[in-house]
Amino acid sequence: MTAPLLETRNLVIRFGGVIAANDVSLTITAGRNLAIIGPNGAGKTTFLNICTGWIKPSSGQVLFEGEDVTPLPPRAIVRKGVARAFQIPQLFTEHTALENLLIAVAARDRLRNPFMDLHRIPERDEMMHLLEMVKCADAAHRPVVELPEGQRKLVDIAVALALRPRLLLMDEPTSGVASSEKHRIMEILVEALAERKVTSVFVEHDMGIVERHAEEVAVWNAGNVQLRGTPREILDHPDVIRDVIGEAV
Amino acid sequence: MTPTLFLLALFDGIAYAALVFIVALGLTLIFGVMRILNIAHGSLYAIGAYATVSLSGWALAMGLAPILAFPLMLVSAVLVGLLLGGPIEWLLLRRIYDKPEVLQLLVTFAVFMILEDVQRLVWGTRPYFEATALQALGNVTVLGVTYTVYQLILLPAVAAALLLGMRFFLRHTIIGKLILATTEDREAAQSIGIDADKVFLFTFIVGAALAGLGGALASPTTSILPGMGADMIVLSFAVVATAGLGQIEGAALCALMIGLGRSFAVYVWPEAATLVPYAIMVAVLSVRPQGLFGSSSARKI
Repeated sequence: MTAPLLETRNLVIRFGGVIAANDVSLTITAGRNLAIIGPNGAGKTTFLNICTGWIKPSSGQVLFEGEDVTPLPPRAIVRKGVARAFQIPQLFTEHTALENLLIAVAARDRLRNPFMDLHRIPERDEMMHLLEMVKCADAAHRPVVELPEGQRKLVDIAVALALRPRLLLMDEPTSGVASSEKHRIMEILVEALAERKVTSVFVEHDMGIVERHAEEVAVWNAGNVQLRGTPREILDHPDVIRDVIGEAV
Repeated sequence: MTPTLFLLALFDGIAYAALVFIVALGLTLIFGVMRILNIAHGSLYAIGAYATVSLSGWALAMGLAPILAFPLMLVSAVLVGLLLGGPIEWLLLRRIYDKPEVLQLLVTFAVFMILEDVQRLVWGTRPYFEATALQALGNVTVLGVTYTVYQLILLPAVAAALLLGMRFFLRHTIIGKLILATTEDREAAQSIGIDADKVFLFTFIVGAALAGLGGALASPTTSILPGMGADMIVLSFAVVATAGLGQIEGAALCALMIGLGRSFAVYVWPEAATLVPYAIMVAVLSVRPQGLFGSSSARKI
């Protein structure tokens, strides 16, 4: 049997009196997109932060493709193949969309002449193609500060893809976007991820999106996984209807 | 003021502005990227000058060609950057980036004080003169005024090349873009795999080397003595603050403004000459507290 893409073993962390991760053991299988749902304060974002190295757990382990990455700094985990997209796109707003991707590529590969012109790096065409994939080719030469929020989200995902991850962790990929646009953005995003063979884990409050784009759902509560199953199983579960969906509506 | 005096004041001002700009460039680069005002920058300038004098004195004693004074200036600058700048960032500043500004100022001020005494220990308090480089290039006569090629042509040329080089470096090269990205958002930079610690270390070494280069280039034009670092940090800070912290092109213009203001004052009203740079700074900052070219929204570098 091959190792799961990502596996956590007994993650524990507390902030003051709050237990943000209470013995979390979870496996993520390549090719099966996982949605994480649950009430605010359940520890969903903390889980993403631990997996990407931004927060170190008090105990427990994170294994990526069988290798213990728990002690590594975030940038080293990124290099292993775990990218992260935040709730608010983390882009360099004074640079153009294309430059944001080129900077990511330049950061990814260390063996490169550092005094080379950024626009002359050989991956420039590949990066233009990535922008086309997320339907942002028109934004390539515009500073990010000028782009609408929905487009920033997509550029942010393109930046994450530029890092050639095998796993992408996203914190509410469609938050801050008009509800009329949510589904379009999510569709572009999921299609791009599939084309690049990237498995995703995403925190989401919109059950419509969860139902449509996740292969599996994990319900978080009080710092741990309360339930796990297919979207249909989970969304029809009476506890979930009461605790999670009730709150989201 | 006679035309001759006018030209002399003009040339003095340009030569002086070029030196001040080179030092201010390092100061503003470090501040723009790392948000640290490095008082010890003045000592790095002084040590760059002392190192050049020692190295070229040694080279002359060995009977080497005077023209070697120029590469030795570069060597001094690189040594200052690597041997002093590197450890200062790595051992001290790295620990205080998220501390209050007052503490950062105190730490760099302490480094400044320590390095001032180190200079006295190593080079004593006796002034040094070493004008080999100045003499090697000879003089030029412009409109009846004879001036050294070193000050009239070399210094402004180096300053202009550094200005253009720094612009190109930051806006086009990979490493420059990674520095700008880290400056804009350190967390975002780390999340795409940029090693922010290395970016800061590299930036500080470059900034420190610029201070050292300023000192190296100044060494043939002035006597090297204790206190020169304090004078230069105050003056280059005036330039950087007048321009707006982190403003590279602005620093060039303000260095020219302050350099010329000072040199004309020397001929017109000598008693006020040392006062002029600060009068310009106070006048500008009382109208535009963010500096001539700085924006109030704290845009960095």
